[in-house]
Amino acid sequence: MGAAEDFAKYLDQYLGEVPDGPAGDLEMRKRLPVASIVDTSDESVLRDSLADDEIDSWTGYMAWNLWELLAKRATEGASGLIPRQEYETISFVHMWATFPQLIRELTKELGAEGIVRLGATPRREFSTQVNVTRHFGTPMCTLVGRGIAVNLGLDKATNRREDVETMVQFCRRLQHGAWGGGPGFVSGRGFKSAVLEPDIVNGLLADETRLDDPDLRTAFKKFNAATELFGFLMHYDCRAGLCDSGPYEVPGGGFMIVRDHQLYEPAFPWGHIGEGLPWSVTQAMVYRPTEPIDVKINDISTTFTNPTDYHKHLSGIAVYARDTWDTPMSEVRRLDADELVAITERVKKATLELYKDIAAKDRDRKIRDGILVYSTILMMPYARTVPGLRAHFLDNGFYDLDELAEAAWPTLTGGDAAATLAPVFILGQGFPSVAG
Amino acid sequence: MATIDERSAPTVTDRNYRQVGQGQNVVEHEAVEGPCIWLDTPDDVIEFVTGPDVEDTIVISRSGSTTFVAPALTAGVKGLITLEGTKECHLGIVSREFGIPCVMSVAFTEGVTTPQGDTVPADGTVLRLECAAMPNAAVLVKGA
Repeated sequence: MGAAEDFAKYLDQYLGEVPDGPAGDLEMRKRLPVASIVDTSDESVLRDSLADDEIDSWTGYMAWNLWELLAKRATEGASGLIPRQEYETISFVHMWATFPQLIRELTKELGAEGIVRLGATPRREFSTQVNVTRHFGTPMCTLVGRGIAVNLGLDKATNRREDVETMVQFCRRLQHGAWGGGPGFVSGRGFKSAVLEPDIVNGLLADETRLDDPDLRTAFKKFNAATELFGFLMHYDCRAGLCDSGPYEVPGGGFMIVRDHQLYEPAFPWGHIGEGLPWSVTQAMVYRPTEPIDVKINDISTTFTNPTDYHKHLSGIAVYARDTWDTPMSEVRRLDADELVAITERVKKATLELYKDIAAKDRDRKIRDGILVYSTILMMPYARTVPGLRAHFLDNGFYDLDELAEAAWPTLTGGDAAATLAPVFILGQGFPSVAG
Repeated sequence: MATIDERSAPTVTDRNYRQVGQGQNVVEHEAVEGPCIWLDTPDDVIEFVTGPDVEDTIVISRSGSTTFVAPALTAGVKGLITLEGTKECHLGIVSREFGIPCVMSVAFTEGVTTPQGDTVPADGTVLRLECAAMPNAAVLVKGA
């Protein structure tokens, strides 16, 4: 078997053995020494310590989950605009160096039960950054940073065990808040991420406008696509500004997807390009398909369907704007058709403006900007829920690149990055055992 | 490299066209036809989207990444071809949501050679994307 066939085998199944989807979740649970650790309970999330085999079981599941997210995108290739692989991997190492201590400070302020309550935010709110994506992404990226550092020989798997424990329990507390117990990962819930509570869902359904008017259908289609793309570009080629939840059952048949696109992030130096746009928009999209459609949402809140074109079954919408990150849910406002068109036009101009802004930067600047994106969006949404904590972090060098990340820079921005990263992301070597 | 399911390769029945490539179809869409342009750098993208005939043009790029061609997507190009990537990539998701025909991981059998060694049709070549069915689409040019 040649190298290409070998690689294809590992893209097709995790370690060449475990499938994707719900079958993969079941298979992984069979393989874990302590499968119950990927579920949450009131008691288990409040514990401060975990046994080695609990940690290794949890990270073992995470390794499969990460493969599940990435394997089909592994042939995407380099962006040509943004050196994403480079900035992401250095960000991860930086996060491993700094985030566990910040999470302990956050936990000291809120308590373990307060972290659980924080995790419950997406049950009652949409257009929030305290969402299922971050509940997964913040700990995952931090722990992958550990794996990269170990693979680069910059750290040892047996070092800083307490920091691994901190990140695992942080994730599990947030998951417990979001789901209230049982499987913590969306992948363990049949790849369904219906996190909003029924009264919120019913309110969205009550606001539905049917897409009988072809002009409105066209306007919404452009709005959805253009705001998604701009949110992606604003966040430097990553999905952190996007979040789907659902599918929610629709009375009479069909399903609803609730989708956030975050457009204007003042925390980014280039955020002003989104000025005049809402901080975030939310689209409640109601589908009444005429054929069976399998809907799958993963832990980074991305929707995949089979068959793939589910938008042709879009039947109704309700669209909302949250003007700033701290706009109360009671002040989230609905957008009418004219506003959809106006925002789409504004976004089209802003997309080209932002593209030109990014294109004019040199490679190192783009990498440092990308690190700023990840540091900001994966920590600050949690930190700013505690008065003064964000400022405290900033006063203590939050944006100073840690020396561990500086040490990883030459390899991760050089020609050997791909050889280092393939085993981490695809071959399950991103989560080495804490037992060594 | 992404794989193409050869069992479901589209067939060319119109003798006025010949197939020069095949790839993963992202959006079920009626066939589209238009002159193509190879975009290799961000400056190429900016020059293209600020020029004429954007909506009539089929864009070819190497990467399956979304951001590289972002302004071309919002400008509403006629079609998109990539040499890398799969329909599960974010570019696949976004092109589907724009409703822009998109064929990914195409290996061209003829054309000009780029400085990086890729084979692509020369700029201005009129291409036809046969993308009405899943999972694959064919890229055709006029002429036997």
